[in-house]
Amino acid sequence: MADNKIGIYLCEGCGIADAINMDELEQTVANEFGVVTCKRHAAFCSDEGRAVIEKDVKDGEANKVVVAACSHRVMTDRFNFEGAVTVRANLREQVAWTQPAGEEDTQMFAADNVRMGIAQARNSENPEGHENVVKSEKLLVVGGGIAGLTAALDAAKTGREVTLVEKTDQLGGWTRKWSKLIPSRPPYRGLVDNNIEDIIKAVEENDRITVLTNALVTKTSGEPGEFNVTISHGGSDTEEVFGAIVVATGWRMPDDMTPYEKYGLGKVDGVMTGVDFEEVLKNGLEKDGKKLETIAIIIPCESEQMPYTSGVADRIAIKQAIQVMDTNPSAMVYVLHDNLRAHGQAEELYREAQDKGVVFMKAMVKSAEAGPTLTTDDLLLGQEVKLSGMDAVVVMTGMMPNSTNPDLPQAEKGNEFLCDDVNPRVPITVNGEEAGDGDAAKAAGDEEGGVAPADCDPENPPLPGGPLLNLQYRQGPHIPILYNGFIDSHYICFPYETRRTGIYVCGAVRKPMTTTEAKEDAAGAVLKGVQAINLVKESRATHPRTGDLSYPNFGLDICTKCRRCTVECPFGAIDENEEGYPQLNPSRCRRCGTCMGACPVRTISFKNYSPNMVTEMIEAVEQPDPFDEKPRIMVFACENDAYPALDMAGINRREINKYMRFIPVRCLGSVTLVWVSNALEKGFDGVMLMGCKSGDDYQCHFVKGSAIAKERIGKVEETLKNLMLEPERVSFEEVSIADSKRVVELLDKFGEEIEGIGLNPFKGF
Amino acid sequence: MTAAIPQPSRTYDLSFARWVRENVKGGDKMNLCMQCGVCAGSCPIGDEMDNGPRKTFMMVRAGMKEEVLSSSTLWNCTSCYRCYVRCPRGIPVTSIIQGLAAVAAKEGYAPKQKVENYYFSKAFWWSAEKFGKTDERLVTMKYFFSFGLSEGIKRALDNLKIALGMVKAGRMHIGLPHTIKNKSQLKAIVAKAKELEQKG
Repeated sequence: MADNKIGIYLCEGCGIADAINMDELEQTVANEFGVVTCKRHAAFCSDEGRAVIEKDVKDGEANKVVVAACSHRVMTDRFNFEGAVTVRANLREQVAWTQPAGEEDTQMFAADNVRMGIAQARNSENPEGHENVVKSEKLLVVGGGIAGLTAALDAAKTGREVTLVEKTDQLGGWTRKWSKLIPSRPPYRGLVDNNIEDIIKAVEENDRITVLTNALVTKTSGEPGEFNVTISHGGSDTEEVFGAIVVATGWRMPDDMTPYEKYGLGKVDGVMTGVDFEEVLKNGLEKDGKKLETIAIIIPCESEQMPYTSGVADRIAIKQAIQVMDTNPSAMVYVLHDNLRAHGQAEELYREAQDKGVVFMKAMVKSAEAGPTLTTDDLLLGQEVKLSGMDAVVVMTGMMPNSTNPDLPQAEKGNEFLCDDVNPRVPITVNGEEAGDGDAAKAAGDEEGGVAPADCDPENPPLPGGPLLNLQYRQGPHIPILYNGFIDSHYICFPYETRRTGIYVCGAVRKPMTTTEAKEDAAGAVLKGVQAINLVKESRATHPRTGDLSYPNFGLDICTKCRRCTVECPFGAIDENEEGYPQLNPSRCRRCGTCMGACPVRTISFKNYSPNMVTEMIEAVEQPDPFDEKPRIMVFACENDAYPALDMAGINRREINKYMRFIPVRCLGSVTLVWVSNALEKGFDGVMLMGCKSGDDYQCHFVKGSAIAKERIGKVEETLKNLMLEPERVSFEEVSIADSKRVVELLDKFGEEIEGIGLNPFKGF
Repeated sequence: MTAAIPQPSRTYDLSFARWVRENVKGGDKMNLCMQCGVCAGSCPIGDEMDNGPRKTFMMVRAGMKEEVLSSSTLWNCTSCYRCYVRCPRGIPVTSIIQGLAAVAAKEGYAPKQKVENYYFSKAFWWSAEKFGKTDERLVTMKYFFSFGLSEGIKRALDNLKIALGMVKAGRMHIGLPHTIKNKSQLKAIVAKAKELEQKG
């Protein structure tokens, strides 16, 4: 839009007018560049107030609306005007509710917030979705175990066509072996029958479900709405297009079972795995014609680090013990545990087991001898106890996720993260020449002169075996894992969403779980798949920015082909074309802006979020005269957790440091270091990056954004030295959404530190 | 009459635990014990007990019959009922401990070990049954002389000063023991109770 007609609407409700002198504020901001009108109202969110703005927009009076009222996180549906860009300046939560009323600094804070809003409005356009055609609304379910079967049935219930691919010749997976299942409904007592045969029958009879057994996915390319999948089935490869993929490949026995030999597994007669014991239970507690009466069930304790054991072992042990008592009330069952973890409703099951006379022993198994006899350290009796003359000893073994296909050969060493055509270890080139001192190479290169993809974590390599879907992504063929081979997903908010948009995961490949839980999980993952197809149809982002129409634009004219965007994108959304330029797959993109933060030449931008926009926002803050001794500190706050925590601080009326200025960012990953140096050059005395927790138990909504920002900020020291500034002027903090008290303390602490360092020498230049 | 107490053949033979479950008052709830230890932690005289209620329960499960029935835990319980009140699983801990004490008395564990509290309670009940009231002098004397003549004399002499002091202060009366009215009714009640106990 060539002509910016910015209308400012200063709201006086919710205590804003009590804290801020509105006449003065109006005078300050009304003459800003591009402002055509400035109006005030007691409550712009009321119908009457909205009508004022609507009329201006309709009459062509304003095409950019800056509502200076509450935080942009609330009232989004009220402040949404067709035909105009709406920007919010936060006067309520950040100023009126956190600053003392009527003071000069409060007035400055309010004016700066409105000015930043004006700068934001000047540089924002309403996004229009990318051009997109959804080629298929079919769902592909990989894995025919309980999770896959349930997923296929649930998908069929939503009216979608489903193809179910199973590696073996039989559907049902592990669940075929189970005798009885843990109840899923109140009162959560009493085991339920295994109805896997009915489920298989329902799947096979369903018209919408195509079942392919003895089939493998050999290649997957494309994006949500258009996944081109090659399925090898019956000796021939067929290619088909799917809208979304649900991965339910389940689990396998740990590759390394030797640690279990301590319990006698594989060494002592009568010691068996929990899986084998299910067979015994099916046969009415009979093994080789012998009735089993005294049974010890061992739950490996955490400290012994048995491979892949989890809380599932505890629940299944309780279940099997109950089943023994149900079959033979005079049997003697001992459950040997260190910590008994009866997750969720399994507490009821634990009581049922106790009621029925199962003995739970807090005992560590020291050794197993023939008999079988167990020598244990009984912690409740405080002495060594020998459990002799057991009929059977059952060892609860672990569940190793099938995040790779063990039947396929492992990808070549060093190439396990890559697809065929691109090797990120090849040195970076700028305009065809190997980069020397170039900006890009310096920032992005590692010792080997190449860039490792964000997913290439040498400490958490994929499990042995070939890739599940063999993704033809620049970032590698695997679905990224978090650790121990479990497929990565945001544990709290987005459990089913993998880091490959459109590919959802459920069942034991995501985390160890029981059959009952896997069923629930499958329903969740399928609905996510359906939702993804629906959103992609409208060119909208899936999550966490659900419904967002904006997408990154690449200004290829100045692109140096440094490939940092393709490497750092946490979701594998960006490929490279033959010439080495980045190529976006918009439907894979989650609009976090990590590519924007990565780009050393700042040529990646969104319509309503760009490096330029934030730079202008930084410049919009008025730097007070150095003699006033008023520092200014720029805080880039992540919109997902940090900014809500700040809002919450306002709602709780906690006083925020008056020298802070806040810019919400989509993700810390989108913060480019240029903003940091810009802020310092413009006279800000300190810069703080406030984002989510990173690491193995990360909370970042965009998985890697916070970690990437942390790494980048580690490199800022040199820039600061070049500017002759103290490195302490830049700080990085991880906060959670519940930290409304802590954020205030952090800001105060940082404010004090900055005052200790002294004012920025650039101030006033 | 209750069934004979089984002798467990190995550690964690559940036969004894199951016998307790069937035959001791409150024993049916003992299975629910999750070994949290709130009972033992709440016990005001836990220091005086060798095992305490939590461990006693686990020992019952472990089939440690001899150790349980000769344990001091059974006799040092003052019946304050704190464990009972606090047990998160609602197990009548006090009743079970008392029930096990009764078993220990009946099976001869207590007399064999000369458990003091066992003799004291015997003396107490002797007085209660005979007079309908407890007479300090007689209960104490009977208790002291349960351990034999010489031990009885020794203990009596040891406590002489206290006894004289109590008499002086009017805390212990001299003369015939007090009795209740209608002692025949008390006798009938006791006889009936004994009859019920015999039935089991």
